Amino acid sequence: MINNNTLEYKKSVADMNIGDSAIITLVGDDCLDIHCHCLRLMELGFTPGQEVTIVAKSPFKDPLAVSVRGTIIALRKGEAECIKINSPTEKPVGKESFRTNGFNN
Amino acid sequence: MALITKEKDCHNTNTLKENSPKSEGPLRESFRTKKNDLPVIALVGMPNSGKTTLFNALTGSNFKTSNYPGATVEYSTGKLIEKYNFKAHILDSPGIVSLNPNSPDEIVTIDGLFNHPRFGLPDVVIVSCDCTQLSRQLFLVKQLIDTGFKTIVALTMNDLLDRKGFEISAEKLSAILKTPVIKINSAKRTGIPELIKITEEIFYDDSTANYKSTIHKLGIPTEEDVALLYDYTEDTERKVIESKTHKIDLDEINKKSFHTLSRTPDKNSLKLDKVFLHPLWGIVIFIISMGLIFTSIFWIAQPMMDIVDTGFSSLSSFVSGILPENSWYRDMITNGLINGFGSVMIFVPQIVILFILLGLLEDTGYLARAAMLIDKPLSKFGLNGRSFIPMLSGYACSIPAIMAARTISNRRERFLTIMIIPLMSCSARLPVYALMLAFIVPPDKPWIAGLGLGALYLFSLLSGAVTAGIISKFKKTDEKSTFMLELPPYRTPVFRNIFKETYYKALVYVKQAGPLIIIFSLVLWALTYFPNVNPEIPETKTQGLSSEQVNRLVESERLSSSYAATIGKNVFEPILKPLGWDWRIGVSLISAFAAREIFVSAMAITFNITENDEDEDNFQRSILTSMRTAKSPDGTKPLFTTASTIALIIYFMFAMQCLSTVAVARKETGSWKVPLLQIGLYSVMAYVLAFITYRGLNILGIQ
Repeated sequence: MINNNTLEYKKSVADMNIGDSAIITLVGDDCLDIHCHCLRLMELGFTPGQEVTIVAKSPFKDPLAVSVRGTIIALRKGEAECIKINSPTEKPVGKESFRTNGFNN
Repeated sequence: MALITKEKDCHNTNTLKENSPKSEGPLRESFRTKKNDLPVIALVGMPNSGKTTLFNALTGSNFKTSNYPGATVEYSTGKLIEKYNFKAHILDSPGIVSLNPNSPDEIVTIDGLFNHPRFGLPDVVIVSCDCTQLSRQLFLVKQLIDTGFKTIVALTMNDLLDRKGFEISAEKLSAILKTPVIKINSAKRTGIPELIKITEEIFYDDSTANYKSTIHKLGIPTEEDVALLYDYTEDTERKVIESKTHKIDLDEINKKSFHTLSRTPDKNSLKLDKVFLHPLWGIVIFIISMGLIFTSIFWIAQPMMDIVDTGFSSLSSFVSGILPENSWYRDMITNGLINGFGSVMIFVPQIVILFILLGLLEDTGYLARAAMLIDKPLSKFGLNGRSFIPMLSGYACSIPAIMAARTISNRRERFLTIMIIPLMSCSARLPVYALMLAFIVPPDKPWIAGLGLGALYLFSLLSGAVTAGIISKFKKTDEKSTFMLELPPYRTPVFRNIFKETYYKALVYVKQAGPLIIIFSLVLWALTYFPNVNPEIPETKTQGLSSEQVNRLVESERLSSSYAATIGKNVFEPILKPLGWDWRIGVSLISAFAAREIFVSAMAITFNITENDEDEDNFQRSILTSMRTAKSPDGTKPLFTTASTIALIIYFMFAMQCLSTVAVARKETGSWKVPLLQIGLYSVMAYVLAFITYRGLNILGIQ
């Protein structure tokens, strides 16, 4: 499950834009920091295989509001970097994206 | 299935987690006091899982239903409503994500679950489970079952799942978890009788009589454990959630739409977040809403504070009317006790208004967003988005503000927040600032005073931020700062719940701060009253004065020969002289330790104001006149100059002039370190900055 090829840059939730969706590939693989909060992120529901969507960003671009498992959770960029993803899709797979729900920017 | 009891090397532990010991073996039941014969039911659940609404339904006490993660800071307990003929204690607790704690709040909750100071281990655990987020919520459910608790699952938010077109099978879930599962709707009271019935059955189940000895605290899970546990909950979710209309394979829906329909966030919230978290409008709404809260703390509270004030003055004069004149206890009761109690109660209106408004924002779900918006700027000063609510509350009163800091998970950020809360310009400083500004501002330009007051409030925010920034530079840490906050769905607030919660918090304030303030008021009263209880006033001085004025003259004379004055003259005057102040200001400063606003009335006494303070304008005018005529210790120049008055304002901005804050900081941090540091640091800062201000202004030619 865990790919240890750390040379390759892995995209994370921090790289996503508002409205993007992606699937989590792994959480906290290259976090060598013993004080990292990857465990708490996973306990909150950010586990590999889950889809995450960026709902909003703070006006200062940080923290991000990320939806996972039906819940919106605010995360700082530093924490979002621990959540690695496959390359973000511009539009979610289904037709039911929030972008079609009005309030377009 | 002990999925999460595996242990891992300390690789993954942060300092906080040391508080949750690894598998400790069976917990002894000896903690359980024998006095409580009633069964004990603990309510556990994730934040916003409907736990507190369920608590209200079970106890009928209608305790607050909160919409902001971590709002139930203290355990609340109630008794099961009587109509079900099953007497039991119910414990409510703050929401938790996992049995592995991550904040002081969570440590309290989880310790309380395993070893409640009063109730020990619970007999039955009811876990509330929001079925619209089943895969997340089952995580905690499974942990509780694995721990060995007699667990009952209460499925909440069934109506929301229904609206999404899904249905959950309680029977299937019960079969998988091997524990009772009941669908409930706390607002409509459906499922509650069944829940109580099954709780009773489980409690009296003899086959599990010794189950408590099998309860184990779980060790810290590894990431694999968490992933495996989630695999389990997802698998379970797939088995128990069904489409309402017709049977469709859920995987089919997954492909069609946003992963799993049952895992889509609330649509209205997504729309509203487009506005409330908008780069521009988000900030505008934030500033407007905080500005409204801020101004209403003052505008709405003022008339109520006046009523409280008038009430206590009339109580005081009523009591002094029925007690013998010139007796020391008459003075003790009126000036010590009633005034002391009055200075506790005077802040209740502001605290009530603050908590009603914060409760409204909390219940609608906006407060979590506000914390998110402000996180980035605050993190520059070593603080956290969660520090924002405590800091804002600090503008009303430090006591509830320090209590509100419990939701900050990072110990260092919590320490910093508690550290700087006393610098926020609390409402007790307002009367002092008002008097001082009235002194330095020309009477025909009152708007300058208003502007000055606004500047003082902004400056207190700035000084707090800078102080936090400086302390965080000195106090290095390897604890990583985090901000992970669930943004709950937007909801319509329930006013009844907000009022109940506000009532509870105001009560906590009165109970926490009250006794200390009253004791301290009595000590101060004694210092300012004894030993010269009935001073002789020469007849020449009293000629032509009303008895009221004579009384004030006596009071003033008594004070100037009291212990407080002796201390003031011998200890404080040498210290305060470089700031341009004398012993009279020193005595007023001592008196103001009970509450800052007492400074004004103490000034009135020390400066021998003979006017009646019933008439406020007149009172302020006469105190201003006395300030203008007061001479410095050597008698050559005026005591109150623009420079020395501004220095006094600067002093009040920083000085830790509040004993109740010290007491609450001690209680909340569990040691004397923080309060002593606050007293030391802020006294030095207040003195040095007041000195620099005074001398600096003198050098600039302002006397």
